[in-house]
Amino acid sequence: MMNQNIKIRIRDLRVAYGKSHVFSGVSLDIPEGAITAVTGPSGVGKSTFLFSLNRLLEAESQVRVSGSILLAGERGWQDIHAASTDVYELRRKVAVVFQNPNPLPMGIFANVALPLRLKGIGRKADLEERVVRALKQAHLWEEVGHRLGSDARTLSGGQQQRLCIARSLVMQPEVLLLDEPTSSLDAAAEAAIESLLLDLKRTCTLVLVSHSRRQVESLADLEFSMGQREKKPVFPEC
Amino acid sequence: MKAPLRMAIRSAAFAAALGLFFIVIFLLAALFVKALPVLDMRLLFGDTPPMEAIMGVRPVFDGLFPAICGTLLLVICAVVLALPMGMGAGIHLALSASPGTRRRIGFCVDLLAGMPSILIGLLGFSIILFLYRYFPFITPGLLPAAASLACLILPYLIRGTWQAIHTLPPELMRTALSLGASPVQALRHVLLPAAKPGLTGCILLSVGRAAEDTAVILLTGTVAAYGLPSGFWDPFEALPFFIYTTAAEYSSQRELAMGFAASLILVGLCGGLFGLAALIRRTVQLKIFTGKLS
Repeated sequence: MMNQNIKIRIRDLRVAYGKSHVFSGVSLDIPEGAITAVTGPSGVGKSTFLFSLNRLLEAESQVRVSGSILLAGERGWQDIHAASTDVYELRRKVAVVFQNPNPLPMGIFANVALPLRLKGIGRKADLEERVVRALKQAHLWEEVGHRLGSDARTLSGGQQQRLCIARSLVMQPEVLLLDEPTSSLDAAAEAAIESLLLDLKRTCTLVLVSHSRRQVESLADLEFSMGQREKKPVFPEC
Repeated sequence: MKAPLRMAIRSAAFAAALGLFFIVIFLLAALFVKALPVLDMRLLFGDTPPMEAIMGVRPVFDGLFPAICGTLLLVICAVVLALPMGMGAGIHLALSASPGTRRRIGFCVDLLAGMPSILIGLLGFSIILFLYRYFPFITPGLLPAAASLACLILPYLIRGTWQAIHTLPPELMRTALSLGASPVQALRHVLLPAAKPGLTGCILLSVGRAAEDTAVILLTGTVAAYGLPSGFWDPFEALPFFIYTTAAEYSSQRELAMGFAASLILVGLCGGLFGLAALIRRTVQLKIFTGKLS
C-alpha cells in the first residue's frame, strides 16, 4: 500500500437493481491524489460502482445500495449515505465525467458556468474568472476562448470531452470519477485527455474506469479489478 | 425495393407535400379575393374614427376591431389559465409519474382531447349556471369563456409538454444531477430549455385551437355587436363567432365579404401569434447559447 492518505473508504458495498445483484462485498480504500483504475470484464458493474460513489446511482429507479462509503474531508470522515449529507454538495465534491461526451444543448460558456449557477453563483465576474480557469485547466482555452458563445455540440469529440472535464473542474471537486472517458475518442484526443488526467492528479483524486490495458498501465497508480474483488497496486512506486 | 416503386413512392410523397402547399395558397388566395371589396379601414372601425375606437372613447358596432381584441384577449386568458396546469401535469407525467398513473392519466388526456368542443361549452355553461346561484356576478363572459377554452386546450398542453420532455435524451437529466442540480434545478436549467422547441410547438397548437373554436365560446360568453369588454366578466366579440353568425345570417354581399375578411384576419392573427412565439423561441435560444440566461 502506498504511503498516502485515504480519500474514499468503501466497505462491503452492494448494489442491486430490484432483485438482481450487480455486485456485492466490495471493500476498497482509494488513496488521495492518485489515479485509481477500476477494471474488469464488461457487465461486472464498474460504471455502477463509480456512480455509487457520488450517489448518482440513486437517480435511477429500483436501485438498492448498501454498505458504507466514507469520504475524507477537513472534518474527518463523512458517510455519504448519512441523512445529514447534502447529496447535491456531495456531487459537486465528487464529480463525474461520462463515457460519451455529453455537452448540454447550450453554449460553451453556459455549459461550464452551469454548475456555478446551480450553486447560486451569479456574479458575472466570478463566473468568468472560474470558467476561464477551468477551461485553461482542461487545456481547452486556447481552442475555444474566442467563441465561448458557440453551441458546445459543435466542438470535436475530444474537445467536447475536455469541455465536460472543465465543467466538472469548475466545481473544484475533491474527487473526479471518470467512466471510460476516452473510449469514444480518436488517438490524438485520447492522448490529450490522458495528459490532462496526469496533470489533474496534482489537485484531486481520480477514479478511472477503463478497458484499455495500455491506459491503465500508463496512468494508474493503483488498479482495482472488479472481477477479482481485490485491489492490486500496479505501480506502487508512483 | 425496385427502382420504379421507389420512384413512385417518392413522387407520391413529393406530390402530397406540394399539395399541402397549394391547399394553403388556394385557401389564402380565395379568402383574399372574396374579402378584397371590404379591405379598408371601415372593415375594422366602421364609421367610428380609428383613434377614438382604439382609445375606447367611442364604441365600434359595425367593424371587426372589437372582435379582434376579444379574440386576442380570449386566447391570451385561455392560454394563461391552462399553461400552469397543462405544463405541470405534463412535467409530472414525463418525469415522476408511475407507469400506472401515466397510463390512466394519459387515457383521460386522450379522452378530453377527443371530446367535441360543444360538450366543453355545455359543461362551462352548466358551471356558470350553477355558480350564478351563489355568485350572481358570474355570468357568461370573457373569463368563463377563457376558462372553458382552457379545458379544451389542456390536453394539447399536457400531451405536448409530456412528449417534449419525454423525448429528450435521458443523459440530460443524469448530467444535470451529476453537476449538483436538484431535480427542480435540472428541470429549470436543463430540461425545459432543451425542450423549448417542443414546448413552443404545443403552445402554438393550443393558441391555434383556442383562437378558432366557436362552440365553446358560443355558450359561455361571446355575443354579436357588443363592443370592447370592460372587464373579465363582460361579454365580448370574437372573430370565430362573427364568421359563424355572418355565414349563417348574412343579408348582403358586403356582410358576406366581411365574413371572409374576418376569416383572413383570424388566419393572420394566428400567423402573427405563431411568428411572435417563434421570435421568442429564437431570442431565448440565443440567450442560452451566449450564456446570458440566468
